[in-house]
Amino acid sequence: MDTEDTKKSLDKRMSLQEAISRFVFDGCSIAFSGMGGMQVVAPTYEIVRQGQKNLTLMGDSPCECGDYLIGTGQIRRIEVAWLAFAVAGVSPSYRRAAEKGIPQKIEVFEFSNYTMGLRFLAGAMGLPFMSTKSLMGSSIEKYNPMIKVIDDPYTSQKVTLVPAATPDVAIVHVNRADRLGNAQYLSFSSNAENIARAAKRTIITCEEIIPEDEIKRTPMLTSVPQYVVDAVVELPYCCHPWNMPCAYAYDIPFHMEMMAAIETEEGFKKWLDEWAFGCKDHDDYCEKVGWSRLRKLTQVERKFYKSVL
Amino acid sequence: MDTKITYAEDYTLQELLVAAAAREIKDREVVFVGVGIPCLGALVAKLTHAPNVILTVESGCIGPTPYRLMLGIGDNSCGENAICVTSLWRAFSDQQRGYFDVGMLGGAQIDKYGNLNSTAIFGGGNYDRPKTRLPGSGGANDIAISAKRTLIMMNQQRRRFLEKVDFVTSPGYLDGPGSREKYGYPGGGPSVIISNMAIFRFDEKTKEAYLYSVHPGVSADDVRREVSWDLKVSPDLKTTPPPTKEEVEIIRILDSQKIYTGKGLKGLTFDNYMAMLDSSYEKLRTMFR
Repeated sequence: MDTEDTKKSLDKRMSLQEAISRFVFDGCSIAFSGMGGMQVVAPTYEIVRQGQKNLTLMGDSPCECGDYLIGTGQIRRIEVAWLAFAVAGVSPSYRRAAEKGIPQKIEVFEFSNYTMGLRFLAGAMGLPFMSTKSLMGSSIEKYNPMIKVIDDPYTSQKVTLVPAATPDVAIVHVNRADRLGNAQYLSFSSNAENIARAAKRTIITCEEIIPEDEIKRTPMLTSVPQYVVDAVVELPYCCHPWNMPCAYAYDIPFHMEMMAAIETEEGFKKWLDEWAFGCKDHDDYCEKVGWSRLRKLTQVERKFYKSVL
Repeated sequence: MDTKITYAEDYTLQELLVAAAAREIKDREVVFVGVGIPCLGALVAKLTHAPNVILTVESGCIGPTPYRLMLGIGDNSCGENAICVTSLWRAFSDQQRGYFDVGMLGGAQIDKYGNLNSTAIFGGGNYDRPKTRLPGSGGANDIAISAKRTLIMMNQQRRRFLEKVDFVTSPGYLDGPGSREKYGYPGGGPSVIISNMAIFRFDEKTKEAYLYSVHPGVSADDVRREVSWDLKVSPDLKTTPPPTKEEVEIIRILDSQKIYTGKGLKGLTFDNYMAMLDSSYEKLRTMFR
């Protein structure tokens, strides 16, 4: 692992290949931003290409980053609330691993979306745990030894404790960032601001790199300040086929094609041969999807979003 | 049935379910929505009897008025015309604090106390090697514990309506009266189950789900056959009212490609999808005005 104090760098721009190879290593714990959309897809493909192994995935509701990296055998442990493709369908790789141990048995530690959010919040605050009323009394609590239910020392009522999540590396995708890593969303952010802060190393990917002056003109939009960040990668259409607010709509017809293709183990391998290994980088992927298709997804999005800027 | 209302004659089962969900929502309530039929229900409520309802979505969106079909809880539409866009932990904290009136849940299995399983069907295996691995809680456990009341939507099948579920992902009334109090859950628990055959409510004393109404053309015996426990039937069993003409018209505009109320996503081409987004903006903007 890289030991340079990259958080102090005054220019953190690098390629996706470089960011992933410097900060994602065998045996690391990793978290991705995005929930129910805004999935960090392009970096997932790059991790498939580079082949880092024995990963622990920490997340609220991962999609491609969970399914693909389980299917390739790169993930050995997950700490999540949910893993599927939402409206598009269930996760075939997760099912194969959990039900049949294909390609390998994975360790599963389950939480809920809120309590994963609280775990990242604790991590972002430098605290050991967070308390909540969620989980207690459910089977989630019963089957997961990481969850503790105690008597609150103040009121003697029951309270649930969930431990801080401090992943080795986080990959967080935002609308815009400057070269120092000041990162802005133009709409909602799920757990991203805390995932970015909780991690030891934080890679910001963005639709667009903007000048520092533009950040200073709109500081109310900055959700991650530069001192949190180790790398900045400009990565337009990073989430495709998922949506990115104020940037492009969800390409659900593409997702349905993908779901049909990855249903079997062979189909999954073929899909990755084509879309991960068959593309040398994300630009190549966009070329293959078709720039005109991507542009249409952006054009239709502009209809719905009035720019706040 | 109310005779002053014009009920639809031509409607589908899914449209009846959307209308049934809509009728569970009161004006000025804060509703934590899930995608699909429950979300359509909340939007229909907003466009009819509950104009001041506030939708909230897990990704951190509060009070959106989307001009297109919501295709996920982190879809761009969730932030459209919202009163606040924030983060996931903030939205859920508002719920735990007691600001959310209604939550919407579903699952693969349910028991008579409204406990839901969306984690795993053991089927002879166990948690570590289940027959069917399901996606998991997502935000369901948090909603079940903290929303003031929850609305549950289920497919009516004997293997889904069980005496005991394999795994309690989302607590209803757990083991019955007093269970939620024992843990001091902030929320009140499930108030209704809407299935494709019937509507169930919960007995105030026993906390057991009982048959409240059957959908048109369904009998109490039909429902009993699809429930594993000894189902109690309301002495005043009702027939679920069909959707109104107005409700059906609204649903067909909201879900013009019948993604949630018809054939689903299969066969949706990119061009049709683009056309759907394009036309929905104008139509919905006029409707929500």
